[in-house]
Amino acid sequence: MKSKLFVLVFAGVSVLGVRAYAHHSFASTYLEDQKMTIEADVLQFLYRNPHSFLQLESKDAAGKPITWAVEWGAGGQLGSQGVNRDTLRPGDHVVVIGQPGRNPDDHRLRMIDIKRPSDGWSWKGTFD
Amino acid sequence: MTLNKMSAGLAVLLCAGFPALAEIDLSGSWSSINHEDALERGGGPNPVDWAGLPFNEAGRAKALSFSQSIISMPERICWFQTQWHIAAGPFSLRIWAQPDPITGKPIAWIIGAWETRAPMTIWMDGRPHPSKNAPHDQTGFTTGVWNGNELIATTTHLKTGYIRRNGAASSDQATITTHFLRHGDMMTLALLIEDPVYLTEPYILTRSYNLGPAPVAIGGPPCIVGDEGVESGRVPHYLPGKNPFVDEMMKLYHIPSEAALGGAQTMYPEFRDKIKDKFEIPAKCKLNCG
Repeated sequence: MKSKLFVLVFAGVSVLGVRAYAHHSFASTYLEDQKMTIEADVLQFLYRNPHSFLQLESKDAAGKPITWAVEWGAGGQLGSQGVNRDTLRPGDHVVVIGQPGRNPDDHRLRMIDIKRPSDGWSWKGTFD
Repeated sequence: MTLNKMSAGLAVLLCAGFPALAEIDLSGSWSSINHEDALERGGGPNPVDWAGLPFNEAGRAKALSFSQSIISMPERICWFQTQWHIAAGPFSLRIWAQPDPITGKPIAWIIGAWETRAPMTIWMDGRPHPSKNAPHDQTGFTTGVWNGNELIATTTHLKTGYIRRNGAASSDQATITTHFLRHGDMMTLALLIEDPVYLTEPYILTRSYNLGPAPVAIGGPPCIVGDEGVESGRVPHYLPGKNPFVDEMMKLYHIPSEAALGGAQTMYPEFRDKIKDKFEIPAKCKLNCG
């Protein structure tokens, strides 16, 4: 069933011309069997293809700022799910769950779930 | 007019409007089926999974030095791929002919670009490849010949690129031979890469397409450089012996490292017999299980 779904998704991608494809390998970039939660403020939302990136800033235990790069779906894909370039603004406080990057120095996540407590907005899903 | 003369005339008429016998039309929008190598063409392969790649020592060492973070450097985010990306990427193809303005015959077949790959122009007019000292560029230089109904294209003058999206690299000395095999509304491409720098034998990938009425997009949205977590100037890499994911395939699937690290022997069926005593099926598949 999973393989049929995979073929269907790719058929859809091919027909619609939507470019849901990273230049890198997810399996090689992220620890796909792990999850990590961060609470941070939005610095920038780069809404683009092939994948969007959300820049967040949190503080470590000593109060030193840490910048996170959270990889998200393609602009076209997120647009069809109601996420647009204005959905998130600099300064928004969010809680993100994602797969951590294999290289801890990159402070990187692959988005699984995001919530904005101030108004209850949320998104949850997967992307390729 | 006798029947024979009518037949001959009809044959002349038919031939005049069509390519010469043993040539076929490749033009159209070809949707990739992607029923093979799904992980490789989709989300991407696991780190240090180079089973089936005919690496030499340099190829393996180069791959082991690769950190996936390197292509998140601002300088490399918009890195273009070589024409091997046709074999290893997921996208569909748009193909058209460039006619000779006098004869109307195709002097080139063109495979439209993707956002991460330049177009491939297959010259059919017998022009020679440039000098080996000529500059290499994103498209490479490709010529084609017909072998019956099969178009065989040879690409040289490539830039460096990848063979598998987990660090398996190709050098600028690599050449790619692409076989276009059309069967009605289906077409299979068999791509063969030879690389004297990183491989000991040719490596082959195939993929198939369906001809369809929906136009396949050419090009794609422009690449935009953004912060992907790697600052400009830092070059992520692993020094010799320091790649932390050497045992990844053993941990995930119990695949011995002598298989995961590649080499020509890992391409052939008899290699299974050689390592069967070292392999035990995991009790449960945890990740990318198909």
